[in-house]
Amino acid sequence: MALRYIDGQEARISENDGIFVDLEFFGEEEILRGLEPRRLFPISGLDRFVTLLDSEGAEKAIVRDISRLMPESREILEKSLREYYMIPRIKRFIKMNDSFQIWMWTVETDRGEFTFEIRNHVVSIKMLYDGRVLIMDANDNRYEIPDINALDQRSQRMLLPNL
Amino acid sequence: METIENGESTVTPIEVAVAELPAKLLTNLPLPQALEDYLRDNPQPAAPCFALVGDLTLDARYGKSALLFYPDCLVAYDSVKRATPEVYPYGGFKEAKVRRMYGNALFLAEREEAGARATLLRFTYAAAEVAEAAAEYVNQVNADGWHPGLLDAVKASYERQRSFCPKCGRKLHSPDAPCINCEGKSKMLKKLSVYVTPHMVMLFVCLALSVIQTSINLVPPKVTGAMVDGVLTPRGRAPLFGLSFLDFNLNQMVLFFAVSILMQWIIGAIRGYFLRIIGDKMIVRLKKDVYSKAQFLPMSFYDKTSTGSVITRINSDTSVLQGFILRMSQEAVTQLFLMLGLVVIMFVDNPKLATFSLAPIPLVVLGSRFFGRKIAPKYRRIWRRGAAIASLLADTIPGTRVIKAFTNESRTINKFENYCDDWLDEDRAVAKVSIAFVHVVGFFVACGSLVIWAVGGREVQHNLANNINGLTVGELVTFISYASMFYGPVNFFATINDSYQNALASVEKVLDILDAEPEHDFGKGDVPDRLDGRIEFQNVNFSFDRSKKVLTNVNLVIEPGDTVGIVGTTGSGKSTLINLLMRYYDDYDGEIFVDGKNLKEIDMQYYRGQIGYVQQEPLMFRDTVFNNIAYGAGKVHVEQVLSAAEVANAHGFIARLPDAYDTMLGERGTGLSGGERQRVSIARAVLKNPSLLILDEATAAVDSETEHLIQEAIERLIRGRTTLMIAHRLSTLRKANKIIVVDKGEIIEFGSPQELMERKGKYYKLVKIQTMAEEAESQRQAEKF
Repeated sequence: MALRYIDGQEARISENDGIFVDLEFFGEEEILRGLEPRRLFPISGLDRFVTLLDSEGAEKAIVRDISRLMPESREILEKSLREYYMIPRIKRFIKMNDSFQIWMWTVETDRGEFTFEIRNHVVSIKMLYDGRVLIMDANDNRYEIPDINALDQRSQRMLLPNL
Repeated sequence: METIENGESTVTPIEVAVAELPAKLLTNLPLPQALEDYLRDNPQPAAPCFALVGDLTLDARYGKSALLFYPDCLVAYDSVKRATPEVYPYGGFKEAKVRRMYGNALFLAEREEAGARATLLRFTYAAAEVAEAAAEYVNQVNADGWHPGLLDAVKASYERQRSFCPKCGRKLHSPDAPCINCEGKSKMLKKLSVYVTPHMVMLFVCLALSVIQTSINLVPPKVTGAMVDGVLTPRGRAPLFGLSFLDFNLNQMVLFFAVSILMQWIIGAIRGYFLRIIGDKMIVRLKKDVYSKAQFLPMSFYDKTSTGSVITRINSDTSVLQGFILRMSQEAVTQLFLMLGLVVIMFVDNPKLATFSLAPIPLVVLGSRFFGRKIAPKYRRIWRRGAAIASLLADTIPGTRVIKAFTNESRTINKFENYCDDWLDEDRAVAKVSIAFVHVVGFFVACGSLVIWAVGGREVQHNLANNINGLTVGELVTFISYASMFYGPVNFFATINDSYQNALASVEKVLDILDAEPEHDFGKGDVPDRLDGRIEFQNVNFSFDRSKKVLTNVNLVIEPGDTVGIVGTTGSGKSTLINLLMRYYDDYDGEIFVDGKNLKEIDMQYYRGQIGYVQQEPLMFRDTVFNNIAYGAGKVHVEQVLSAAEVANAHGFIARLPDAYDTMLGERGTGLSGGERQRVSIARAVLKNPSLLILDEATAAVDSETEHLIQEAIERLIRGRTTLMIAHRLSTLRKANKIIVVDKGEIIEFGSPQELMERKGKYYKLVKIQTMAEEAESQRQAEKF
């Protein structure tokens, strides 16, 4: 069975409820309702290849590139993805406390200030070649530093030894 | 939706005795202040049963939000969207559920009308577990009405969340379990002392030897001084150390010199030999400990840690530690002794010159601290680079076949080279700092001796010119020698930070394994007489990480002697079911009973010993065929192995091998075909004679004759045992008297094959498809012959 791609103008995505969206292919009668958008590459390619799953988890279509959708469709899809994927971007390190061998980091993110635990810095922190750093806390929540070089000096000094 | 407005409560009266409710509110996090104020200002007829506090607001920012659960309604608060708490009676919900998304989750209430739902709370995964218990609570209240028993499940899940070590705050495995992290832990180095203490006596001997050696070290400069001042002058002899009975002439002086040098070398050799032996013993013990600990780590550890990094820890990190322990226990003391000796001698000889030569020391100490701070982080980075290389090796070397098949050699090499270059870059950065530092220290100390030449030389000149009794040429030479000897210990202590940091990075990694929580054997020693094999799953839920549930609400009973076929698509949770039964994972919700006993309360070693596990891809160890069959069976008679092989239909092909039972198998059993490996693995299980048999049937197609042989072997094996098999072939399934159909982590059908065929559900469909496929296959085969 071939994958069905949406390239841009041939379909409309409209709002359903919360993270769910409806999908309508022009020239087709049926409107697919209550689909859930998911990124196929949540780490490496944020705006490309977004799959639309029905309530059974079966794929209905793949959006090749969000930016090529019609503006309203694009807006709705992006809103849904923003709702679903919560990967706070760390802007600044406030504190790194490692008393009792427990590593607590307090950070400022684009979603506010938060404190979380890092269990094992070997597996929980990953630095990519483009300066992006991905972090997973003890509860499997994700965080991202978009560009380590853009952090302030103090934050860099706190983080660098752990990479 | 009912709303509270201006403090006017519209909460329906609750007919619950307040005494039944916990005195202190059950909550996962402290209640937001705003909600407490609200509760104070709006006294309710009854206290809330428990609270679920979220760490996100509904607009997905970090903030305060909470749900208060009453017996018949809940109060929702969100600092952004519901600053005034709102009341939701459970009656308005069809179903409450937790929707796990990516890095966050929602507490949803589905309404009666299709598709209508209220989003009540948003939180990170930290609260996801308790939220699920809360949702279950609401659904139970709606289904059966409220009763105090409902709170038990909630309480249990909250306690799991709150079972933290009071000292370190780390999550414990069970509420009263000792904290493995804190137990006996004060300092990393203290932990390592275990490895030093058994060698204490020898270490002291070595220490004494090195003190003697160091003392002898201090002699030659004195001899030189005496030679210059006395022996090489018209007098022809001089007293050593100012003692009259050591008044030697040239020959005696040279002899004395020779003896002291000889002593130095002999003692050095003896000490070196002892130290090496002690070091080797320590390292071997440490390696053994780390390795044996690694054997008892739970599967979840290996799910998250790459094999390469574990290997690095066992192999190279322990070696780094060996070097460090010896350096600390021996050299540090010796060097300290040497340094003190030098300081005393120098000050006694000439306080003024001593002060000059010690002048650079504060600089060195300050520099050392600065240097330590600079270099510490870099060692961690180096370690990570090294571990990355090791992981890559562990990945690619065994995968050589695949790499060759896809002609991916050059890309693999490239990747390896990149990793190595990364390591090189990091190491170069460290080398720059550490080498520069050593030489700067050297320079300063050398400057010290220049000062002595300048100051002391002038004094000697002055003394000689005016014939004053004071600093002589010989004394100056002696002093210069001491000053240059001083360079050794100073350099040592300046760089000790370097090796300390290096070691610390390794200690951390090694302790990561030594301190990791091992598999919990709660029922150690609780060995039942026999295992009949009655298996019961009660409300079992399981997820590897918190993001996705793998098993949902599994309930099933398997009677002794049952042969149970587990069917389902890949990823449906079949293997996970088996993993739980093998006790590879402990942190599931619900209970598993074996013979009416909680699985966790049975001695783990005994329990696993009773299970025969035939894997889908049987692993062969690098050993003979014989040992591979006898693996795990302890001491067995040769004939037992032969008959096991015969039962497994393996004897025939083994006998035909040139080396027969002595054939060496490579890793992953190279030299045997897939079907042969399976039969060896069946023979293994036969030999073990287990009460409970778990069979993961291989999906790989084998020719029909081999299949027949394997089938026959399996039939013999399962006779009279409780058997669970993940089956892919109908021929295997026909042997089953019960079938479990797993779909998306849930058991959707369970019963005898006849029952399921009559139900015409998923199993029926599966059988239909398989039968068609098999018919087509047999037709094809028939055409061929």
